[in-house]
This record gives sequence, structure tokens and C-alpha cells, in this order.
Amino acid sequence: MIGIILALLSGSLVGLQNIFNSKVNEHIGSWATTSLVLGTGFLASFMIGLLVEGTDLFTLHHTQPWYWFSGMIGVGVVISIVNGIKQLGPTYAISILLTSQLVFALLWDSLGWFGLEQVPFTSKQMFGVLMIVGGILVFKLSGGKVKKQEQAGRAEAV
Amino acid sequence: MRGILFAIAGGAFITLQSVANARISEGIGSWQAATITQLTGFVTAFIIFMFVRDGKWQDLKQVKPWYAAGGALAAVIIFGNIVAIQQIGVTMAVSGVLIAQLIITFLIDSTGAFGVVKQKMRLPQFIGIGMMIIGVIILGI
Repeated sequence: MIGIILALLSGSLVGLQNIFNSKVNEHIGSWATTSLVLGTGFLASFMIGLLVEGTDLFTLHHTQPWYWFSGMIGVGVVISIVNGIKQLGPTYAISILLTSQLVFALLWDSLGWFGLEQVPFTSKQMFGVLMIVGGILVFKLSGGKVKKQEQAGRAEAV
Repeated sequence: MRGILFAIAGGAFITLQSVANARISEGIGSWQAATITQLTGFVTAFIIFMFVRDGKWQDLKQVKPWYAAGGALAAVIIFGNIVAIQQIGVTMAVSGVLIAQLIITFLIDSTGAFGVVKQKMRLPQFIGIGMMIIGVIILGI
């Protein structure tokens, strides 16, 4: 139960953050925005970590070399999304993005990669994911006239 | 076609990031994982920024501080993600994140909050959210 509540909380904040980031991106470039976002994220994590863990935050016993490169994945996230939206427009790009996220999650869960506990791939899972993907498409692609007007408005503004 | 590949890669990167964070947190703890990945990500982005220089700090003054501080939300996002993956698996966690994300985005769109273009809540959006929730329930049972 805690797991699903935290997943919903994270998702809500991701939705908020996307809006805020795009607001920042209206004034400064993509790389400046990325630096700012990851920089403030680091400061917040560091301070909360210090509050929760105290000086234990600095005890890094089982560090593996790849940990220090994991932040680069975040850079890949930003570059891909920025370019995807630039080429396809927000609605289409985000529909593909969300679907891709879910398909890779299912793939890695069922292969048990990255040391994850293997969750066997069943027809039930297939059906569940297809249902969610269908929901994403219905939700995102049937925005109708309003979305098109908004995009036209954006094009005019540019 | 390139745009589609970018969007697919973006989704793969996001999920990879969640899984990597969950793995790192098993080794050294959740807050340590959040701190390290944000720090190394910031350093990488900042080095690239130094070459590209696509913004000045002066321009940042035009941004509302509220929006500029949005990155700080990542602390809670990453922590929540890590614990969710450990407790309910990647597929369920990602599904939950997607649903909440779509609902919040749609609430913002339909109320016109934060100065975004206001949109009406329509039947397809209710159907879409309903389908997604049913999908998560199917995954969960």
C-alpha cells in the first residue's frame, strides 16, 4: 500500500515539475534548464538526506564505480524528451514516451535484469499493460480541437 | 521518425533511471542514491552547459522563483520512486507514476493553473483514466 501511495505521489510531482521546467525553459536554454533542475534537485536531496540520515549520509560502504555515472542517465532523459517534443509536438511525444516507459518496465521486470526480482511475463500482465497503453492513447490523442488550437497558438507565438 | 526514436529512448532512459536508483539505494541507501545521481547529473549537464552556453543567469531573474525551484521536487520524486519499486515492482510503480502524472497534468490543464492554456475535461479523458486504473488493477491482482 505504501508503495502505490508513493508511486502516485511521485507521479503527481513529476506532472508539476514538467510544467515548472517548461516555464523555466521559456526564458533560458535547455542545457541551462537541465543544470538548474538537477542542481536544485541535488541541494534538496542533500539537505533532506542530512536531516534524515545525519552524517550517515556520507557513509558510502558498498559504492560501485557505475554509481558515479548513473546521473548521466538523467541527462539522456532530458535530451531525448526535449528533442522528441521539438519534433513531434507535446501531445504525440508524451503519448509515445509514457508507452515506452511502461513497455521497458514490463520488459525489465520479466527479464529480471539489473538484479531485479524476476516477475514472470503472463497474459494477465500483457492485458494490463495493453489496457493502460490504450488508456494513455485515448486520454492523450483525443484532446480534439482545443489541443490543436493551443498548438496553433504556440506556432503563432513563435 | 527521429522524433519517435527520441521519445522511445526518453521512455527507456526514464525507466532505466528508476531501476538504477533502486539498485543504488540497495547498496548505499535511498537518500544517498538521490544525492549522488542528482550531483553527477548536475555536473554532467553543467559541463555541457559551459560549452553550449544557452542561457545567462540574468535571464533567470525573469523566471518566477517558484518555477525555478521546481527541480527540488526531484528529491521526493526519486525517494518515492525508489521505495515504490522495491515494494511493488517496476511495472506497478511505473503504472502508478504514469496515472498520477496524467491526472495532475489534466487537472492543471482543466483549471488553467500556473498560467497554462485552459482546457475542458472531456469524456475521452475520463474513459482514458478509467482504462488505466483498470489496467493497474489487472497488474495488481
